[in-house]
Amino acid sequence: MENDLEKRGYGITVFSPDTPPSVKTRKIVFFILFCLIILIQAFYWLFANSATPIILGMPFGMFFIALFIAIEFVLLLILYFLEVDEMNLEE
Amino acid sequence: MSWIATMVVIILYLIFVLFLGSVAGRGRESSVVEYIAASRNLGFIVMYFLMGGAIFSAFAYIGGPGWAYSKGAASFYIMGYCALGLLPWWLWGPRAAKLGIKYQYVTQAQLFADRFQSKALSVIIALVSILAFIQYITLQMKGSAYVFEIASGGRIPFWAGALIAYIVVVLYVFFGGVRGVAWTNVFQGSFMVVMAWVLGIYFAYSLYGGPGEMFRQIAEAKPTHLLVGPGAKMSYAAFASALLVSVLGFAMWPHLFMKAYTAKSEKVLKQTIVMYPTFAIFLIPVLFIGFAGIQQVTPDVLGAPDRILPWMFTHMHFHPILVGLILAAALAAAMSTQDTITHAAGSIFAQDLVEILKKEKHTDREATMWIRISVVGFGLISYLVAIFGGQTLVALLLGAYGSIVQLLPLAAATFFWPRATRAGAICGILTGVIYNYLIVLNVIPKLWDIHAGIQGLVLNIIVLIFVSLATKPMDKKHVFRFTV
Repeated sequence: MENDLEKRGYGITVFSPDTPPSVKTRKIVFFILFCLIILIQAFYWLFANSATPIILGMPFGMFFIALFIAIEFVLLLILYFLEVDEMNLEE
Repeated sequence: MSWIATMVVIILYLIFVLFLGSVAGRGRESSVVEYIAASRNLGFIVMYFLMGGAIFSAFAYIGGPGWAYSKGAASFYIMGYCALGLLPWWLWGPRAAKLGIKYQYVTQAQLFADRFQSKALSVIIALVSILAFIQYITLQMKGSAYVFEIASGGRIPFWAGALIAYIVVVLYVFFGGVRGVAWTNVFQGSFMVVMAWVLGIYFAYSLYGGPGEMFRQIAEAKPTHLLVGPGAKMSYAAFASALLVSVLGFAMWPHLFMKAYTAKSEKVLKQTIVMYPTFAIFLIPVLFIGFAGIQQVTPDVLGAPDRILPWMFTHMHFHPILVGLILAAALAAAMSTQDTITHAAGSIFAQDLVEILKKEKHTDREATMWIRISVVGFGLISYLVAIFGGQTLVALLLGAYGSIVQLLPLAAATFFWPRATRAGAICGILTGVIYNYLIVLNVIPKLWDIHAGIQGLVLNIIVLIFVSLATKPMDKKHVFRFTV
């Protein structure tokens, strides 16, 4: 254990050394997706700075943000169900 | 005489909330971990409303329609940050919770101070948090006072309305601790969400025949109102940076961060994060209320944009009992935020400042007593600021808002960068906080309309990295306790 610690550098540590590659890939993919969702909402005016068309009773800009909130919710649900088994194991 | 019926509804509501909050903590052990972290066993529903109540504040309920009325599309940013604010918590909420159980942390500063082995850091975090909290509590008290003023037809003056809100909240926080806050938030949260939907949809349909037609008329009458950028009320840079600073800083607010210690399990924490964006959807009808007012009243007649919600229902000739329910919902929004923050402010003051400065560990009994005294004291200070707050003080407190995001590099360094050192952490946070204040106090200019908090954050990160690399690394055995 002490030896393992000696070998570890001080660099950025995101995953524990025993994280399987598939889990790493999954986490990175979701991290990128959520970063994109944050950026799309912050810069929504690049894509949807318009009052029309009015969709579901909302101006286009508002609908666009609401749409990405819904997408974020669905992605979070998927991520939760993908991770729920790992959480069960840890508990 | 209709105001009496309205006031009766509000008083009944207050009595119920007071009862619920006070009994929630009964029969529980009197310890710090129970008072601050509910013995680390809150379930999903309670966690969801505890976190949601904090964001569904007087700003969202009264200020949200005001923003929609006066600033138009700029108000979409409120939906954005509400939906995204808890996302970063996925990364460190469960880790903070695990470390909390292992090392008995109940506040955010205890975690950071332990990681960087610095009591000074605990004091800095406590001071930054408390300054920000006072402004936040003051805002909620003003919202409550405003509700009483309207409900009583001006018979309850501003000072008395704020005083009633102060007494009710302090009483149930004092006796119920975080459990009292949590259970009142379950009730208040569901009540205000229902009222928001009923009102938002009602105004849009009764005045315009539906929200679609409402927005069509607004776009025709005020073509730039539903846009951001040149000619609109918020620039592109201001919108993007306000949303980013809110998303990055939201989960760093100590009253939210420390709720990681109250959850029963990692599953409960993650369920709360998954469901949190639904609160942003609940905000849509709140914004409808403000948009519905645009074609009904001019800004000169209205006075301040925040008056749009009361103006709308007072001009709709609602039954006094319905007016009472609407105002009770507004009061719920203000109080559900005020209670969480008052509780956190008291806890942080007692744990991260008093205990550190006294240089001796409190017993459980002493610590709980100190927290309760601090809760009363903080409510009082905020009340006095709400009543007498001068301009300099207000500016100082506004600066504290941008300072909260300066805690983000500390969290990132704690969980992901073992090379970060004590000197790096202290220099980084001080640089970020001071730079933010210099902009807020107009000592240095704001660059390209970018939020002061974001500018301070960039400097903070640079200083943290360079000073850490220039100083001796901390003990590996110690720092790897905090990473994966």
